[in-house]
Amino acid sequence: MSTVVVIGAGLAGLASASRLAEAGIDVTLVTKGLGGLQLSQGTIDILGYSPQRVTNPLAAIAPGGPLVPDSTAATGLIHPYAMIGAERVKAGVEYLAELLGESMLVGDPTRNFQLPTALGGVRPTALAAPSMAAGDVKAGDKWVIAGLRRLKDFHARLVAGNLARTTLPDGGSLQVRAVSLDLPAVKGEVDSNAVIYARACDDQGFRVRLAGELKPLLKRGEKVGLPAMLGLRDPLAWHDLSQKLGTQVFEIPLGPPSVPGLRLNDALLAHLRRLGVRLVNGNRAIGYRAEGDAVTGIEVATAGAPRVYRCDAVVYAPGGLESGAIAMDADGELSEALFGLPLARPDGELLHGRFWGAEQPVFRVGVAVDSSMRVLGPDSAPVWANLRAAGGLLGGANRIAEKSGEGIALGSAVAAADAIIEELS
Amino acid sequence: MNWPPKPSRKGSPNARTPADAAPRAADARPSAAGGRPAAKRLRATPPTTAQSGSDKAGLAFAGHELARASLDACVKCTICETQCPVMAVTPLFSGPKYAGPQGERFRHGESVDGSLDYCSSCGTCTLVCPQGVKIAELNAQARAVMKSGHMPLRDRLVSQTVLMGKVMTPLAGLANGALANPLARLALEKAVGVHRDAPLPTAQPQSFAQWWKQRGGSKPGPQGRIVFFHGCAGGYFEVETSKRAVEVLERVGYEVVVPKQGCCGLAQQSNGLFDQAAKSVLKLCDALLSTGRTPGSAKGLTIVSASGSCTGMLKREAREILGVTDDRLADVSVRVRDIMEFLLDLHEAGRLPLDFQPLEMTVPYHAPCQLKGQGMGMPALEVLRLIPGLTVVESGRACCGMAGTYGLKKEKHAIAQAVGKPLFDMVRATNPDLALCDTETCRWQLAKSSGVRTEHPIYLVHKAYGLD
Ligand SMILES: Cc1cc2nc3c(=O)[nH]c(=O)nc-3n(C[C@H](O)[C@H](O)[C@H](O)COP(=O)(O)OP(=O)(O)OC[C@H]3O[C@@H](n4cnc5c(N)ncnc54)[C@H](O)[C@@H]3O)c2cc1C
Ligand code: SF4
Ligand code: SF4
Ligand code: SF4
Repeated sequence: MSTVVVIGAGLAGLASASRLAEAGIDVTLVTKGLGGLQLSQGTIDILGYSPQRVTNPLAAIAPGGPLVPDSTAATGLIHPYAMIGAERVKAGVEYLAELLGESMLVGDPTRNFQLPTALGGVRPTALAAPSMAAGDVKAGDKWVIAGLRRLKDFHARLVAGNLARTTLPDGGSLQVRAVSLDLPAVKGEVDSNAVIYARACDDQGFRVRLAGELKPLLKRGEKVGLPAMLGLRDPLAWHDLSQKLGTQVFEIPLGPPSVPGLRLNDALLAHLRRLGVRLVNGNRAIGYRAEGDAVTGIEVATAGAPRVYRCDAVVYAPGGLESGAIAMDADGELSEALFGLPLARPDGELLHGRFWGAEQPVFRVGVAVDSSMRVLGPDSAPVWANLRAAGGLLGGANRIAEKSGEGIALGSAVAAADAIIEELS
Repeated sequence: MNWPPKPSRKGSPNARTPADAAPRAADARPSAAGGRPAAKRLRATPPTTAQSGSDKAGLAFAGHELARASLDACVKCTICETQCPVMAVTPLFSGPKYAGPQGERFRHGESVDGSLDYCSSCGTCTLVCPQGVKIAELNAQARAVMKSGHMPLRDRLVSQTVLMGKVMTPLAGLANGALANPLARLALEKAVGVHRDAPLPTAQPQSFAQWWKQRGGSKPGPQGRIVFFHGCAGGYFEVETSKRAVEVLERVGYEVVVPKQGCCGLAQQSNGLFDQAAKSVLKLCDALLSTGRTPGSAKGLTIVSASGSCTGMLKREAREILGVTDDRLADVSVRVRDIMEFLLDLHEAGRLPLDFQPLEMTVPYHAPCQLKGQGMGMPALEVLRLIPGLTVVESGRACCGMAGTYGLKKEKHAIAQAVGKPLFDMVRATNPDLALCDTETCRWQLAKSSGVRTEHPIYLVHKAYGLD
């Protein structure tokens, strides 16, 4: 049987491992730690800004859309979406949505939701948890934002105040006020994080108490915004609370630890387990074996003596600068740690000293790929015939500013996996 | 596209001429790409005093560079907090991020946070940290500092695995009877703090060593010789597991050698008795090295063990937590294999006989923390999948709660039970008659708390080879 090693357990690694295993390929997933999903909002961004707010992300990344040519002209780097193509981004996003089902992800890749953030901004994203959907802003809506005094990552008055003074993308505004509850998640705990609250919310008894405290504070016609903590294992906890309150409820994602991200991560890992993917967790890939123009094995830092996992192809999805896959040394030199891959970088300086200033160009550094996600050298030839990259390692995008990270991860994961499936069959 | 003048300082993979590719392709050394800087750094650590004399000297290692050096990598992402099984069930523990990299910044060899004692040392945090922070290792070292000078008698006692075995084996009937008596257990709880409901091992009428001697060793086999390391639990309590392991090794073609051996020191280490633990592990290395040489060759034999936690101690914990840098340990640690890992290696090399009898059943399998910490995936799952008819379901749960001796302690027993509850439920729901797990104390905990008979995975391999 053919064997593929996938390196990295972020969205890109998880999605490609799943797609390969579903095609009957023997997959080994090596990761040194959990991936970035549970640090994310638990939504699927395809494109949020180009740099104007985007309403139809698939159209914006398609040929003739504004993103790809603008970004290439401005930086001298080819944007990953130019190599992946809108079709495969659509395929990737739909693949994930189908795999997880409507109890986990809803939405439409041709229309962005505009959802409230934990700072009271309004953020565009393509797919979201069903528990967030009622927060899609509509001019004239009446909202009450409910905070918990012991959950310090979410400040209801700040959120409500900022939202109330925001002019919505379509011109109107919201009516928003804040309330605060003092309901401990665990007896005796003064400072709990969202995960602890989410575990409490899995319990029907806690939801009864939460609804009991909240209901008297509501006014007619108000939707209720709560920090994203409405259940970790129970996918319908939010729905149950909404019924108990007799009004629509929506979750607002927090910074890490992100409960919606954790839910996606858990669901994908469980899916990989069911598929029989070999999970080598808590371990770094530290080297490789090669023959001719192909990588034949990945060496992993197993305790005692390193192990080599034989492979017919590799999906390298280790993230980028944020995850340490691309390192910068004291002299400002950049390198990719495992394969020593050549890195494409934007013209000009990589870092400027202005913290609140314009984008830091260094975030666009990464590898260049062909349309099947094979990593390319400066001569535009593949570095290795069977080495493909996916996700944050691809250069040319500023994911944070554009809100394009998940779309790139999914599109490149599907592109890489499908190319491998075709080659190995 | 704009390429930097020097795209990478590690080789030049962009030049694609055949002449250039050749040495790279042929290069099978680990340093081929990326190298192993971390491993090199480990070796270069100046020898510590963990192996020598006094308690104080042993603790000089705690807060040592190896783990400490990793704390600056913490980006406060909170991933470890979301996965820590203890933090999930009790507000008494402030969690891995606080107790680990955050607390460590303030310690300078002093203790700053009493809640640290609630860390069970399960190691889940280190596994999931995407930045490579050695959180559990930092915690274990800091706990040793915290407890030095006032180590509870109980923590010293539960670390004496060999002693317990030696005392209990000749008196097996008596000892088991006494430990089954609720009054005796209550007295034990009051006197030393071992919780009355905590699982304790069942003494066996015959130790593994006695059986081995009586049986008269093993015959030369076509695959060569191999050293079997049973550990103390495998020597005195889990004797049946050790026998099965040996019989399977013989069945697949090995001549098994069993040197006289003692304890690896893991229980002492996890209770903060670093000095004694370092002595134990080196003594064990001497024992294992006493037989392990192939005549006429410098290369040592492979050492196989069915005790998933002891292999972890030899492979990495003794070095990474105790800071033992002795050559004897270095020699042993690269040769130790968990038995299921070893069988998988054999299979991958095409040398594992596959004449298994079908076993029509579905069993739950729990990979213990100490096995996961070895970074080898779950070899038991893969080996068991070779048996026709057998369906193995991985638990997907972090920890059973026992974490060595943690769950024995009266102040922690309730926490350990809460930690393990999702696992106990999963096991019962999957098969009420049989569960599998690679380490001894986890099996005792699982069996006692779920009511389901729990065996080492080798049990089914043994059965499928028709060795019953
Ligand atoms: C502060 C911040 C905010 C962001 N905001 C947004 C946003 O709002 N919208 C958006 O779309 N994107 C955003 N992004 C970008 C987004 O996080 C990434 O694009 C996306 O998560 C990348 O996923 P990935 O699967 O490629 O990598 P990651 O999620 O980073 O996963 C990488 C994986 O590889 C593993 N790994 C790395 N090296 C090795 C090795 N040698 N051996 C084994 N395993 C290894 C890691 O452990 C990890 O599991 C943001 C990023 C940051 C840092
Ligand atoms: S997972 Fe690692 S990096 Fe993240 S908070 Fe914990 S120790 Fe720090
Ligand atoms: S070792 Fe286990 S109990 Fe201790 S902090 Fe880490 S995850 Fe929590
Ligand atoms: S880990 Fe193994 S050798 Fe060490 S104390 Fe436990 S049973 Fe004994």
